[in-house]
Amino acid sequence: MRIAALLLAIALPVSAAAQSVDDAIDGALDRHILPGFATLADETEHLAAVAAEDCAPTSDMLRSAFGTAFDAWIRVSHLRFGPTETDNRTFALAFWPDSRGATPRALDGLIAAEDPAVEGPDAFADVSVAARGFYAMELLLYDPEMMDAASSDYGCALIRAMAADIARTAAAIDTDWRETHADLLRHAGQNDTYRSEAEALRTLYSAFTTGMEFTIDLRLGRPLGTFDRPRPGRAEAWRSGRSLRHVEIALDSLGELAQILALADDDIDTAAITQAFDTAKETAGRIDDPAFAGVATPSSRIRIEALQQRVIEARDVTAAQLAEALDLSAGFNSLDGD
Amino acid sequence: MQRLLATGAAIAALGAPAAAQDTADVVRTYADMAEAAYTDSLTAARTLDAAVDALLAAPSVGTLQDARAAWRAARIPYLQTEVFRFGNPIVDDWEGRVNSWPLDEGLIDYVDAGYGSATEENDFAALNVVANASFTLSGEDVDASEITPAFLQDVLHEADGVEANVATGYHAIEFLLWGQDLNGHGAGAGNRPWTDFSQGSDCTNGNCDRRAEYLDSATDLLVSDLEEIVTAWTADGAARARLLSDPEAGLSAMLTGMGSLSYGELAGERMRLGLMLNDPEEEQDCFSDNTHNSHYYDGFGIQNVYLGSYAGIDGRIVSGPALADLVAAADPALDAEMRLRLSDTMRALGRIKTTAEAGFAYDRMLERGNAGGEALVTAGVEGLIAQTATIERIVDALDLGQVTFEGSDSLDAPSAVFQ
Repeated sequence: MRIAALLLAIALPVSAAAQSVDDAIDGALDRHILPGFATLADETEHLAAVAAEDCAPTSDMLRSAFGTAFDAWIRVSHLRFGPTETDNRTFALAFWPDSRGATPRALDGLIAAEDPAVEGPDAFADVSVAARGFYAMELLLYDPEMMDAASSDYGCALIRAMAADIARTAAAIDTDWRETHADLLRHAGQNDTYRSEAEALRTLYSAFTTGMEFTIDLRLGRPLGTFDRPRPGRAEAWRSGRSLRHVEIALDSLGELAQILALADDDIDTAAITQAFDTAKETAGRIDDPAFAGVATPSSRIRIEALQQRVIEARDVTAAQLAEALDLSAGFNSLDGD
Repeated sequence: MQRLLATGAAIAALGAPAAAQDTADVVRTYADMAEAAYTDSLTAARTLDAAVDALLAAPSVGTLQDARAAWRAARIPYLQTEVFRFGNPIVDDWEGRVNSWPLDEGLIDYVDAGYGSATEENDFAALNVVANASFTLSGEDVDASEITPAFLQDVLHEADGVEANVATGYHAIEFLLWGQDLNGHGAGAGNRPWTDFSQGSDCTNGNCDRRAEYLDSATDLLVSDLEEIVTAWTADGAARARLLSDPEAGLSAMLTGMGSLSYGELAGERMRLGLMLNDPEEEQDCFSDNTHNSHYYDGFGIQNVYLGSYAGIDGRIVSGPALADLVAAADPALDAEMRLRLSDTMRALGRIKTTAEAGFAYDRMLERGNAGGEALVTAGVEGLIAQTATIERIVDALDLGQVTFEGSDSLDAPSAVFQ
């Protein structure tokens, strides 16, 4: 599938007091990014440890550890820059959507050949991203045919290699954030990665927008398809019944980031942002359809469409708030007739 | 995956905003280059169409080779237009007809047994319309007895709402001329025999009449589609008019095109993803093994826009006041940075091209564990990412905060601006 990269975000110039911009950047680091990746590193390490003990695809312990680790990834999945982008780590953790069936094909290939890449972490890191990360593991643990194929000695080795690889990638991201990238962001304006605080703020705002777009267009838009042609089989992680859960986690995390960015200026109406996200979360809470299977039934479809609409509104309200309060340049003032 | 190009307000502009007249001149140069490059694409597509007609009139090794050569040549000007796609909605709405990729080629014609069948994503992944004069689409019977341009465009293209059902454009034609590349990561491109188009007893793989009809219609359609887009860039054309009605917005469209092609499309979707999937089919021109040229001329198009100069396929130079001039006036160091970044990218893409032409094909570079190939492709990706960061700085430096695209959409619904 081709994702048209046509998004045009609004830049966030730093016209606000420097102190509040510092608050926003520090807050994003200390309350959102660093704890998020630390949790991801911990939970994936746990997943690898559990897999080493029990590799049966049906194991409750394994599935539970997988679920917790996947949750931790979704919470930070919008932060696709810096250490997450290095060495293509985002793709290595999360290759989705997979519109051409690369994941089942790659897994079938490894299993059929009993590919020795599972024997060492470096070798497994060279495997196609389609066969790595959370979405590949979801298929092995929840797709009936794949579960059969994975219930062998080789399948066990594959699950263990996959879990260890996920943990290794997550640890690398966490380390890079703590040891290098956090300082670059915190001291924006004093390094070449972020030449000004505006660049740092823009990067964070872009992460917010990216996460919202991903949720609107992919997590919700893919299963919704069109009214005449709904696509429940395209929902994210539908086999494990996590599709709705991912939207809820994303809303929680992105709402948190929006509030932190709002620290950059006192004039931002944080209540409006809170309300928009609360409304979206309430709408999600009323849906009793974890895999979005109901997209094909008009009565339940309407609820999922409503959720998508509320997420769009939350994005738009936040964008308008942040842009209006932070953007004091001639351009937008002239729009306001100033 | 995709970085959001920032526009809207700038920080305190580093220099005075360019005079309005300068801006309009720069946008005019851009529109002139677009018109020239699309005109060249049309000229080259007509040559391809004639070569296909010759192939179908007298199939042979020679006429098939000639048609393939014409296809390769037709790609050179077209790829240099890709930078005009993003940022110009008229182009972006049209582009899917001529350059959609990736495709489930089993929709079109026979494929190898290893290709598989219908998928969860696409019921028509193995439809094979060349062999099937009728089929059912969304519960309705479809008459495919005649493979006309209208049938390809209105019925088969993106059938069932699936983007991978690519029935038209360069890549559908490429598949018909080359066939599947069954060499995996090994040497060699698709190797369709010329007898697939023979109309006598030596017809191979069946339905040679329908295959010929398909190829003929697809090339005719490419020509008419390109005629349409050339018109949009002429003196009274809609794409040109839209840009010149608000030159500041036009400037932003130029930068959006450069940044989106550099980052999300080329560095992300087309290069990095293929490398990470280790999939020999994850290369844009997978049937013809022409991907190194696709990347190279895409990058070249970005450099053309910045420097305000395009070399036509007949050797004429179309140039004028350039984006580079505006940047140099606002911030000479930033202009130097941009020129350097573009050169670095072109060197990296040039290395991929020269290496591929020397025999190390792009699909082999994608092979798992192929360190040399990975380094080559990664250097291209990194160059494109680095130039994107500089493009973002240019958006700031040119103080495009006064851009008023479509009402207040840029303020209220950033993603709606260019959709």
